[in-house]
Order: sequence, then C-alpha cells, then structure tokens
Amino acid sequence: MGKLLRIGITLSVLAVAILAGTWVWHHYLYSPWTRDGRIQADVVTVTPDVSGWVTNLAVTHHESVDEGDLLFTVDDTRYQAALTEARAQLARQKSALELARHQYQRRKALSGERAISEEDLETYRIQMQSAKADHDLAKARLKEARIDLERTRIRAPADGTISNLSLREGNYATRGQPALSLIQDGSLYVTGYFEETKIQRIHPGQKATMTLMGSDQTLTGTVTGIARGIADANTQGNDQLLPEVQQVFNWVRLAQRIPVEVALDPVPDELNLSAGMTVSIRLKAE
Amino acid sequence: MLHELGLGGMLFSPLVALIPLAFGLMLATRLALHRMNWRRFIWKPAWFDVGVFVCYLALVVHLFGNQG
Repeated sequence: MGKLLRIGITLSVLAVAILAGTWVWHHYLYSPWTRDGRIQADVVTVTPDVSGWVTNLAVTHHESVDEGDLLFTVDDTRYQAALTEARAQLARQKSALELARHQYQRRKALSGERAISEEDLETYRIQMQSAKADHDLAKARLKEARIDLERTRIRAPADGTISNLSLREGNYATRGQPALSLIQDGSLYVTGYFEETKIQRIHPGQKATMTLMGSDQTLTGTVTGIARGIADANTQGNDQLLPEVQQVFNWVRLAQRIPVEVALDPVPDELNLSAGMTVSIRLKAE
Repeated sequence: MLHELGLGGMLFSPLVALIPLAFGLMLATRLALHRMNWRRFIWKPAWFDVGVFVCYLALVVHLFGNQG
C-alpha cells in the first residue's frame, strides 16, 4: 500500500510536469511575440523640379516644418529670363495671329465678289489656323515658364521633421534628384518580424503591446497587416539565368521572418520615438 | 511583467532569471519535505525533483513571463 502511494505521488507529479513542460514549450515557440520589431515612418524625399544653385536654405537640421513652409530656394535668374522670353513669344504669336485673322477676314469678304480664288482663300484660312496653334503653343510655354519659376521655391509637401540635411546654400540642386528627406509627423508605425511558426496566430485587428529597448514604457497598437511575400533567395538567377539554389542542412531549418505591420495608438508627447528604434512586440492571444 | 532583461544593451531571455527562480523554489520544497520527513513518500526522488522543477518553471513563466 505504502509502495503504491509512493509510486502514485511521484508519477502524478511527473504527469503534471509533462503538461506544464508542454505548455512552456508552446509558450516560447508559438505564442505571437518577437523582440525583432522596428519603428518605421513615412519618409518623403523632397526633390526639386528645377535645377540651379541653392540660394536660400530656410531650414536647419531636424527642424519641424508645416506643410507649405519654404524649405529652400533655387536660383531663379534663368527662370525669370525664360518667363520674359515666353511672354515676348506670346506677344509675337498674338500679333501673328491677329495679322493672319485679319488677312483671312478681308479675303473672305472679297470672295463674295469673286475677286479671289478659292485656293487663296483656303490658304489664308489654314494660315490663320496655324497662327492660332502657334499662339496656343506660346501660351502653354508661358504657363510652363511660370510653373518653373514658381517651383524654384521648394515647399514642404507635408508636416514633418527635416532629417539628415546635407544640402547647403551654393550647392547645385539637380532636377529630379532628392535633396533632403522629411519624416512625416504622426506617421510612425511598427514593423515586427515574426517567425513563420507564429504567423498563423496573427491576424489584422489583434491588439499589440510593445516595449522599447531599454525602457519600461509600454506602447499599444493594433495589427494592420501581414506581408504577403518575402524574397526567396532560391529564385534568384545567376548571369546565365540559372537559379542559385542554396544548400541546406537536412535537419536544421531556420524559420523565416514575416513582416507584420502594427499601427501605434497615440503615444505620450514626452516619449522620444525615432524611426529605426528597436521594440519588442507581443500580441494578445485569442 | 518581465519581457526581457537588458544588460548594457544585451538582451537576455526572461528564462535567465526565471530558471534560477524555479530552481530555488524546487530546492526550498526539497528542503521543506526533508525537514518534515516526507521524502519517504517519494518513490524516485530524482524524477520527483525534476517534475517539481518543471512545474515551478511553468508557474513562474506564467506569473512573470512574456504573456501572449
């Protein structure tokens, strides 16, 4: 009897231990949490639409700007000249149109008296149309010159903070080449890289709590999306277009990490959040 | 709630703290049982101690660990 009791006690403790051990295993392996989260932000690269020297730089490092604030000015001398030229061209085309119209009207009156051939009249009509087209073209050129001149003053496309400013007065800004970057206000979100073993327990709308590295401050948020694809190194081709298939260890497989996007709930103002910071994320289980 | 242990920028799993805690609890239990002379009710002491340790580990992970 005593022996049975002793065996029973030991075995029941062991049975409970097996259940508990399984729970711990699942907790660490499958519950949706990761230490591999990064804060991200929407970054606007401000790019001048005209080329020229930067004559006035109106912002400094890490300055906060509002939408429409002047960021920098590109030398507009050439664009002023282009505008004057376009205006002059328009005036000229306007006169040419007037002349052509006048000539045509006059010959049209004559044609009633059969003093001019049908062909001549047609020629003048077409010349008038051509002059009208030239006039429209000159108008469009003037508009273009005006747009160019306007765009020598580069303005902030959104509220945000200037980041990593390397532009200086006197630099040559080239059309289409990014000149500075702007981190949009209120655009911070978190991307967590979750192992694929945990991804089945994640779905949009799930609540998340996040902790910054080295801080006890807890942030909250909501899962907004799961990436639908990550790059597969096996599908890349070499220069003969053959796939570069990676070798693997047969019994060791590393879980891929899938990006999961988490929208942040409003954060306290005194908290310094920068894009690129590391966060640990855990998601509320169902 | 313990999420991770940061020591000078290095992160450690909470298990680094939780395993010694569970181990300490197991030792305390073992000592208590010994004092009360209840260890004679145990059939295989080594199996029993391992089982108690795992139970304590699950308990402290549940209480202080990274809850999902």
